[in-house]
Amino acid sequence: MRRPREYDTLARVCLHVLLVTISLFMLLPFAWMVGASLKSGQDVFASVFLPSGDGWLGVAWSRLSADNFVRLFRGAGFGRAMLYSTFYASVTAVGGTLGASLCGYALAKFSFCGRRLLTAVVLGAVLVPGPLLFAPGYQVLYRLGLMDSYAGLILPALVPAVGVFLFRQAMIHGVPDELLDAARIDGAGEVRIFFSIVMPMIRPMLGAFLLITFLGAWNNFIGPQVVLQRPEIFPLTTTLTNLRGSQYQDWGLVMAGTLVSILPMMGLFLLLQRDFIQGLTAGAVKH
Amino acid sequence: MNARRPCPRCLPWLFAAPFLAVFVLFVAWPLGQSLLLSFQQTYGPRYSTWVGVGNFAFMLHDPSFWLALRNTVVIALAALVVQTPVSLALAMLLNRPGVRGRAVFRLALFAPSLVGLVFAAMLFSMVLERRYGLLNLSLHWLLPSFDTGFAWRQELPLFSLVLASLWLHTGFYMVYFLAALQGVPHEQEESALIDGAGPWQRFRYIVWPEIRPVAGFVTLLSLVGSFQLFELPWLLLDYSAGPTDNRGLTIMVYLYQTGFQSGDLGYASAIGWVLALILMAFTWGQRRLLGDGTD
Amino acid sequence: MTLSSPCRGYSRGFVLIALIAVLSSLAVLLWPVAKRSGVEFWVFATFHYPFYRAPVAQWNREHPERPVELSLQPLPALETRLLSALRTGAPVADMMEVERVIAAEMFIGPLDAVGFVDLTERLRAGGWLERFNEPSFSPWTSRGRIFGLPHDVHPVLLAYRADLVEAAGIDVARIETWEDFARELAPLMAERGPDGRPLRYLLNFWPAQIEQTEIFLLQAGGGFFDEHDRPALVTEVNVRVLAQLAAWCAGPSRIATDAADVTALGNRIRLEGGVVCSPMADWMSGLWRHDLPGLAGKMKLMPLPAWERGGRRTSVHGGTGLVISSNSDDVGSAFELALRLYTSPELSDAMFRETGIIGALREQWSRPVYDEPNSYFSGQAVGRLYIEQAPQVPRRSSSPYTVEARRGYCIALRQLVDWAETHHTYDRPALEQRARELLEGVQADLVRRVERNVYLREGGQR
Repeated sequence: MRRPREYDTLARVCLHVLLVTISLFMLLPFAWMVGASLKSGQDVFASVFLPSGDGWLGVAWSRLSADNFVRLFRGAGFGRAMLYSTFYASVTAVGGTLGASLCGYALAKFSFCGRRLLTAVVLGAVLVPGPLLFAPGYQVLYRLGLMDSYAGLILPALVPAVGVFLFRQAMIHGVPDELLDAARIDGAGEVRIFFSIVMPMIRPMLGAFLLITFLGAWNNFIGPQVVLQRPEIFPLTTTLTNLRGSQYQDWGLVMAGTLVSILPMMGLFLLLQRDFIQGLTAGAVKH
Repeated sequence: MNARRPCPRCLPWLFAAPFLAVFVLFVAWPLGQSLLLSFQQTYGPRYSTWVGVGNFAFMLHDPSFWLALRNTVVIALAALVVQTPVSLALAMLLNRPGVRGRAVFRLALFAPSLVGLVFAAMLFSMVLERRYGLLNLSLHWLLPSFDTGFAWRQELPLFSLVLASLWLHTGFYMVYFLAALQGVPHEQEESALIDGAGPWQRFRYIVWPEIRPVAGFVTLLSLVGSFQLFELPWLLLDYSAGPTDNRGLTIMVYLYQTGFQSGDLGYASAIGWVLALILMAFTWGQRRLLGDGTD
Repeated sequence: MTLSSPCRGYSRGFVLIALIAVLSSLAVLLWPVAKRSGVEFWVFATFHYPFYRAPVAQWNREHPERPVELSLQPLPALETRLLSALRTGAPVADMMEVERVIAAEMFIGPLDAVGFVDLTERLRAGGWLERFNEPSFSPWTSRGRIFGLPHDVHPVLLAYRADLVEAAGIDVARIETWEDFARELAPLMAERGPDGRPLRYLLNFWPAQIEQTEIFLLQAGGGFFDEHDRPALVTEVNVRVLAQLAAWCAGPSRIATDAADVTALGNRIRLEGGVVCSPMADWMSGLWRHDLPGLAGKMKLMPLPAWERGGRRTSVHGGTGLVISSNSDDVGSAFELALRLYTSPELSDAMFRETGIIGALREQWSRPVYDEPNSYFSGQAVGRLYIEQAPQVPRRSSSPYTVEARRGYCIALRQLVDWAETHHTYDRPALEQRARELLEGVQADLVRRVERNVYLREGGQR
């Protein structure tokens, strides 16, 4: 040992104190939001986190209530918005993942006339920035009669070019040709090969891409804002912004709505965490 | 025998068909439209008039466009000089040997990235509120002379955006750096330490070459993200709530205002082209300077 | 290769999401959104909505073949939807109540693409142009055509904390102009906090309050456009008002503080007595009664102090009107119902009692309801106070560039305040000089923007 032990211990303690501080800092807004959503009326402004009183830990636990959440689902139509968000995000995620992996599979594992052209098209499409298609995309949706429907939101997101590219890479590196040939000799059909051999082999990429597309659709605001018109079919994002527009004073209600919109994503992430971090970084880290 | 594969030549095209359909309808067609539109003035999708290069000529002298561009560049620069280094620093802290509960820390730091921009904007519009917002109350607690009446969103709109974006994205980029740091050879670092190399030299010659591609990728992500920022300014700076004084105008907000509030899809497309050229220049520059992270 | 389960090799998360996708699709399919039939009627004002329910139900009993469906839409959603739908021809309601700035946004395109039915001839034939308060038509009129039925007049008075003012022994009858106002009420700002700043300011105003800025400007006889809707920002009045508003917010002459209306924080400041006076439109008086019950009995209203002796003592804030969609297949019924709602004396009485809003039909202004004392405002006959000022309400432009013009004006105001603070220059001539320069910049920008619009050009000016 080059350095005295005490120094090491001290450094480690400092390191951990620093990490804990930073983590608390990042988590503080969450705690604040939870506090605000549980307080009703003027209590929201009267205390920073929880109302003080003479209960356990000096907190007036009896003044906390789920009232904001009850009002959210009774009055503000949050139940329906949640269903629409779930529908939109899950269908986009599953559809987008399947569509992109199918095309990626074709590019990675088949040699056919036009493959290089198709690969070039995919790469070109990856490079087209989203904002460029924003205004003309609206015109196209209008001409196709897809305004004010979830079809107008889901169809354009069904086969993302980035996904095709990422799946192509993952399959080139992660799926050996010999395995596919062996399966074909065994008499497995192409569809079955795809679903039962190819897809499981790129599991991390699958999980990561699924979560990313799910998050993207769940958090999409500008799409629903432009495409959807009837508030009856709004997802959470636009429902929540409308709620804030009309309930300007009701911080508790708005924070409850925000919390309810965030929690499902947290749960989903915990489920897919391992795949997600592997798959996310696989694309960026040199093999 | 060939019943399973009725047409081996068609099969890959069959697999690629959904992509092609979506590409033609929702990428190629709008792209062509965009080119046409940028030379037109429109009122919604039904009325359009050819104006030649009028949109681009107007843009040159449009103070709102230049304000939006300037603000967006400031936000992107802040992301570059604050967000990326901070996330790298966090990753290096977390990657030090002997850190206990690494997974818990990683989760805590990553959690904000799961919050969508819309929801983060909701949260921060209250965190940054005068008098009762979390930030002002915390600052007042730390520094009793701090005036809790300070209106962050009105007085320092760009700072507010950068702060919210920092909270939201740091953990996300940190995860990339963490993965890259796994590749740094430990033995080399140890031996350099024994050779008496300072922390900077160790970083420069051992760590940096390993994480350079990822640094490039993260830089590109944050630049592209900053240039496309819409939800945060739109909601945090109250564009959605009614009239604002536009000090925090970003280029995407201006594009939205132009295309959807004023109905001029033509000028909005022209702005889109300028934005697209900037984004493509970033991609090109990143590949030139820091190497391609994806190969 | 054999497979025991189709899920093998897939993560739990993947299977779960796939399952959710199937289930939620089924749920969405099985939970269809109610299809609407008959005449649709959208309202955005939470306070109007309950009053229309009974008359609409009555109407539906009389017209069972084409019932009217009334629904409440949040304003931001209504705006986005209208902008998008009227331009794309997507279905919208047959009749809608809209806010004046949103209506103005519809006037940016060609006249035949406005999306609202031109009501000019119907209004003229029925003699309604004379019976409604004339300035109330201005926000719904573009290039000489009238596209909406005005709901209100929205005169503005000055609300003040009578308890504070009277405790300080101040007589508001001595206040005729804004100069008098600053002088007479000055003692109320004497109390200082530990940081040396006044604990209380006289006026709720700040450059960020764009609508308030417009209230003051219109009161002074200023505006953003000339009678032909051409940008006209650099006028004597506009310059003078800009300099005065900046002086209210900066330096030794500061009397204003930011207690923005309809915000949680602004209401807290009001409750705590951090601000004495607010310009208050009739609808805002109703909103305060609802949002700020803590101030009941402490408030009073008076005419706005004028910009010069003998000048206008009121202004105008906001405005709602009823428009009929060009896509409607039953314009006749919609117009008939609109008239019934906007001319019913019972309805306007009930609406006033609850919301404080004065109707736009002049013949109703003599109704006794307006003379009832209001306990929130210390027993004043609030309706009468507003009606006395109603005929002097200024016109509002319906230019689609209103939003940009007033934003430009407010940016100039903010820049002027910053300039005054950094140069420690608060004297009137210097402020006016700088104000003029700033407004010239705004004007040049706005002119360029308006001239660029080929649709306004083709449609011709009024």
